[in-house]
Amino acid sequence: MAISVKVMHRPEPETTSYLRAALSGMALTFKHMVNPTKVTQQYPEEMTHLSPRWRGTHVMEQHADGRPKCVACGLCPTVCPANCIRLVGGEDDQGNRYPIVYEIDEFRCIFCGMCQEVCPVEAIHVGRHFENAEYTRERFVYDLDRLMEQDHPSTLLWDPSDPSSE
Amino acid sequence: MPEMVTLTIDGHEVSVPKGTTILEAAKSIGTEVPHYCYHPGMSSPAMCRLCLVEVEGAPKPMPGCVTTVMDGQVVHTQSEQALKNRRGVLEFYLVNHPLDCPICDMSGECNLQDYVHAEGREHGRGREPKRIFGRDDFGGDVLFYGDRCVMCTRCVRFMSEVEQDHRLTVVERGNRSVIDTFYEEGLDGTYWHGNIVDICPVGALVSKEFLHKARAWDLTHTPSVCTGCAQGCNIDLHTRDNLVQRVKPRENLDVNAWWICDYGRHGYEWMNRGDRLEAPVMRSAGASQAMAWGDALRALLAKADGAGPVKAIASAKSSNEDLGALKRLVDALGGGDIVYRSARADDEVPLKGFPTLARRTDLTPNATGADLVGASRVGDDDATGGLDAVSGHDGIVIVLNDDLSDQGEDFGANASLFVYMGTHASAGATHADFVLPISTHAEGEGSFTNLERRVQRFAKAMDAPGMARPAWLVLGALAAETGGGDAPRSAADAFAALGRSVSAFAGITWEDVGTRGALLNESVSVTGD
Ligand code: SF4
Ligand code: SF4
Ligand code: SF4
Ligand code: SF4
Repeated sequence: MAISVKVMHRPEPETTSYLRAALSGMALTFKHMVNPTKVTQQYPEEMTHLSPRWRGTHVMEQHADGRPKCVACGLCPTVCPANCIRLVGGEDDQGNRYPIVYEIDEFRCIFCGMCQEVCPVEAIHVGRHFENAEYTRERFVYDLDRLMEQDHPSTLLWDPSDPSSE
Repeated sequence: MPEMVTLTIDGHEVSVPKGTTILEAAKSIGTEVPHYCYHPGMSSPAMCRLCLVEVEGAPKPMPGCVTTVMDGQVVHTQSEQALKNRRGVLEFYLVNHPLDCPICDMSGECNLQDYVHAEGREHGRGREPKRIFGRDDFGGDVLFYGDRCVMCTRCVRFMSEVEQDHRLTVVERGNRSVIDTFYEEGLDGTYWHGNIVDICPVGALVSKEFLHKARAWDLTHTPSVCTGCAQGCNIDLHTRDNLVQRVKPRENLDVNAWWICDYGRHGYEWMNRGDRLEAPVMRSAGASQAMAWGDALRALLAKADGAGPVKAIASAKSSNEDLGALKRLVDALGGGDIVYRSARADDEVPLKGFPTLARRTDLTPNATGADLVGASRVGDDDATGGLDAVSGHDGIVIVLNDDLSDQGEDFGANASLFVYMGTHASAGATHADFVLPISTHAEGEGSFTNLERRVQRFAKAMDAPGMARPAWLVLGALAAETGGGDAPRSAADAFAALGRSVSAFAGITWEDVGTRGALLNESVSVTGD
């Protein structure tokens, strides 16, 4: 079988000067340089604005005496589409139902906020927060203590003044 | 042929025997009339007022659970009037109800939740404070949450009519009436009280053992048969995370109706046991080696060739299929004795209101099956002893599903081939040439034969650990290899093979057994004493 060689026809150099593209790029840069409206944000000195409905890593609300508000009803593990909540219910010494184990795998979570929506006692919330860097993967499984320690604000899933989003 | 009565329910004409109640007639055409106090196994006091239906010509709504049908009667269960009645009654139920579904163990299978969700008011109108009873320990396995009670008295009637041991009653009157026990006696010492947790339509009576353990909707229900005694009550195993979480009765009017005893209800922990045998192990010259099933069985067959007469220990906890396959293997290897040991209690524990049901003296599920394949019972009533003849036997020793817990390390020391098939390790298996892991009945399919010779099937509720396999699969393959024929590939195959080799099982098929069980030809009738 004969070997055929395909010859590539490249455009002639005079019609494809890179100079034109470079110049138009520089023109854009110059336009921004003289434009008075700055768009660069000086993060982290200057914090980003997050919408009140931003959904980030979770917060567990607690009672004044430090007990978690969760009553281990099992609704959030049931509704969670990512199946990332692990719950084992039990009873504390005062006869209250509470979560012995409550873990959220934040890596698997898709931040849909349905756990917050379904919770009958407003215990679990997604949070307005995005700085989650860690050194190990294991640290992304938040246990109950970790969830209660989170001090960032929790999300408003809807605007209280406009609950049906009209 | 009973006299038939024809009436119309919600526009459907239905013929039922004379004396049937409207509620049962409606059920026969698939219309469920909401109710709490009515239970098919007990009397109907018509006190929950939820089954009120509209009957044309009657001056007021009639309670469906006690009104018997009449010829030409026209009944409406979904008319505006009937729905209005129910909405009103349900609102009364919620006047003092704490609405604590999130922490209630009944949530997800609660009749109050379901009915209110389907037909109740969207919002309550009560402004008065609710009366509060709190929680009471009724003894036994039962906790009582008084606030959730709908005062149907099913629990009271179960104890007085079915168990016939009056332990519960209604105290106080009107708004303050509440279920209570007599003095401090509670339910302790009764053997069927777990059933009141099942029949309580709401979460007022809950099991201490199951408290907060799992949510109703997370549980997988698998039909099974209780292994507690020779009665063979039909049960559902409720599993989650490959563990049995609780046991509930499964209705079968021929065996246990709606009830099971507390002994059977709480006897499931062994199925969750963790330290299981997981791989076939061959021991030779003092060294143990785990191996694949194929290699282990080939090595076993090579060693069995000419190894001498067989003595086998079977178990009355093994299924008919396992026992049949063992019998075929023993025959194929030249025949020999099969013995089994089983625990016996001194007395039956009858359920007085249901004469054919009792916790039997025989505490194994399949002693009948073992007898039918020709095994003989040895040993004492606590399932120990009786193995002297096998222990020193110098031919082939096969142990199936008997953990040899009373045997020392020298058991089977003289055997030319010692095969131990079990679920967990045992000191008695120290000299075993082959230790083969088998699955429990909850981990596979099969059937048991109860004391009235009813064959009943159970289904697979959990996964077996590691390489553990059903005993009929292993024994069936070995029997087919030595004695010819096909190795069974399913429990149905194994049951068919059993029918071919043991005449008592001939004539009924796996499909005949179904979910309700089937009696063997020579059945025996049994009543409680
Ligand atoms: S936000 Fe959604 S995915 Fe994440 S834990 Fe909650 S329910 Fe699950
Ligand atoms: S829904 Fe709320 S109360 Fe229920 S388990 Fe989740 S966090 Fe706990
Ligand atoms: S009894 Fe039913 S309605 Fe009442 S709290 Fe329990 S689940 Fe909810
Ligand atoms: S405790 Fe349950 S079964 Fe007994 S009366 Fe109350 S609701 Fe009925």
